Amino acid sequence: MLRVEDLSVTYGSVKALDAIHLEVAQRGALHGVIGPNGAGKSTLMDAITGRCKPTRGRVFIDGQDITARSVTWRRHLGMSRSFQRTSIFPGISVGEQLELVASQLGEGDLRGIVDTLELSSVYDQLADSIAYGDQRRVDIALALVGKPSLMLLDEPAAGLSATETITLFEHLAKVVRERNVIAMVVEHDVDAVFRFCTSITALDLGRLITTGSPAAVRSDPRVISAYLGTAA
Amino acid sequence: MRATDKRAQPIADIVMPVSSHSGRSVPTVRWMTGLVVAAIIVLGLLVPSVLKSTFYLGLLINAIVLGIAAVSIGLLAHQCGLVMFGVAGFTGGATYLFGIAVTQFGWSVTAAAAFCLVAATFASLLIGMLVVRARPLPFAMLTLALAQMLRSLVMITDFRSVTGGDDGLTMNWSGSFFGLSQAQLNRPDTFWAVAWLALCGVMLIAWMVGQSRTGQILRATRANEERMRFSGFNTYMPRVLAFALAGFIAAVSGLLMALHSAFASPELLDFATGGNALVAMLVGGASTVSGPVLGALLYVIGQDQFGASGHLELLTGLGVVLVIVAFPDGAMGFLRNGVRRLLEGRHAAR
Repeated sequence: MLRVEDLSVTYGSVKALDAIHLEVAQRGALHGVIGPNGAGKSTLMDAITGRCKPTRGRVFIDGQDITARSVTWRRHLGMSRSFQRTSIFPGISVGEQLELVASQLGEGDLRGIVDTLELSSVYDQLADSIAYGDQRRVDIALALVGKPSLMLLDEPAAGLSATETITLFEHLAKVVRERNVIAMVVEHDVDAVFRFCTSITALDLGRLITTGSPAAVRSDPRVISAYLGTAA
Repeated sequence: MRATDKRAQPIADIVMPVSSHSGRSVPTVRWMTGLVVAAIIVLGLLVPSVLKSTFYLGLLINAIVLGIAAVSIGLLAHQCGLVMFGVAGFTGGATYLFGIAVTQFGWSVTAAAAFCLVAATFASLLIGMLVVRARPLPFAMLTLALAQMLRSLVMITDFRSVTGGDDGLTMNWSGSFFGLSQAQLNRPDTFWAVAWLALCGVMLIAWMVGQSRTGQILRATRANEERMRFSGFNTYMPRVLAFALAGFIAAVSGLLMALHSAFASPELLDFATGGNALVAMLVGGASTVSGPVLGALLYVIGQDQFGASGHLELLTGLGVVLVIVAFPDGAMGFLRNGVRRLLEGRHAAR
């Protein structure tokens, strides 16, 4: 279970995150994080995964305080992530990089990840030479290797078309269910989040507005006025 | 690249070819490659019996000494994406260490050689722990600063009795180095075997590192360090080890210089000396172990030819610019691409 207590991140005089309290416990399901630009979604991901240091607050995994731990340590504990800007290994084939990470983390079912994310056809190709949508899936595959218990995905559908986004979320929902992972997804595409996530957190200006089921969040007046507008 | 985890092996089996394009099995190809390499090493030892000119043999030895220093720079550049400006600190430093061991400590030549390699490697390990976290440009400047500091250190008047100061350090030793006396080490024809075997050994070590899991980790870290850390890898220690290995290789170059010339001077620690190795690496290309050695050979030949014209610096500069612009992957990259295209053309013609 992921628990975040009073998490704050400040850049100079700007509060990117302001006293966030959050719990994500449901395995095998997607938990969405939505909010407009500057809401603090990616900062929340970065603070949880150790990419940036929180100004205040603590992060717990299964009751263990990991706030001061390194990203490498967190990865071995079972916390993985993908990045807003695709983070793969250019100049190295898809297979080579997946095998390297698999050998480091003791992944026994690399074939399963490759099959589920439909990467077999690009396995031997250099990761930076394949289509962008495939690169996004390689990024997710790298996060899936090692059987993580908690996966954080930062805008996995960024730069993809609507059709590609739906396909990617179908893949995500399937793989998260199959591998019984707690998955938190930051995403701009609100339609995809409401369709595939079983619980959602809404942020605005670094503050948590609400957390709940898609239906509850969709009908929350603060969310409607802040994010979705009258069309929602 | 193969996964070392046996559980990940099935997927590796999918991508690792069981046979080469020619239809030969991978072990057979490896054996054949090994035999070819062994033949080259043995044939290389016979060079003095074919090339009788002491001058040209000396030129080749200079190329080997420079080439080993260039391999050191190329190893870090290719595996870590870090360019070392201060390689002279390790080559020249090793020459001085050897000289001090034989002249001041009175050690045997073999003990002094071992001391200079161990001490230089240990020093590079410590220095590596300080500098490998730096970004490429600060890294380059830090290594340069260290070399320049060392140059100033050997010129300090208080240390003159040990280092020889501006005049340099002349070395004299008794005993033999693997059966070779100082006089024999000074002669190109008898020194050749030492230089050639050192070059082969250094190239083999650098190649093995490239093929190893550490090499894989280094290249992946160079490609995307953040992703490596988020994939559970320690990205610091492999680079420290690579730096220590580069320091060791550079020290081998400095040791050869000491054994052959029996003289150390502050110029050995100068940026210009390291600059020669850097240019050799750029000319040959860093993507293969043999690239820097080819670059060193071309550089030394060029220096000889250009020097005869009386416009050494001008022609060297022009030549280096032309080679780097015309062959961005270096001379070895150009050769490899040419051979590959030739083979692909023949394959397609069939």
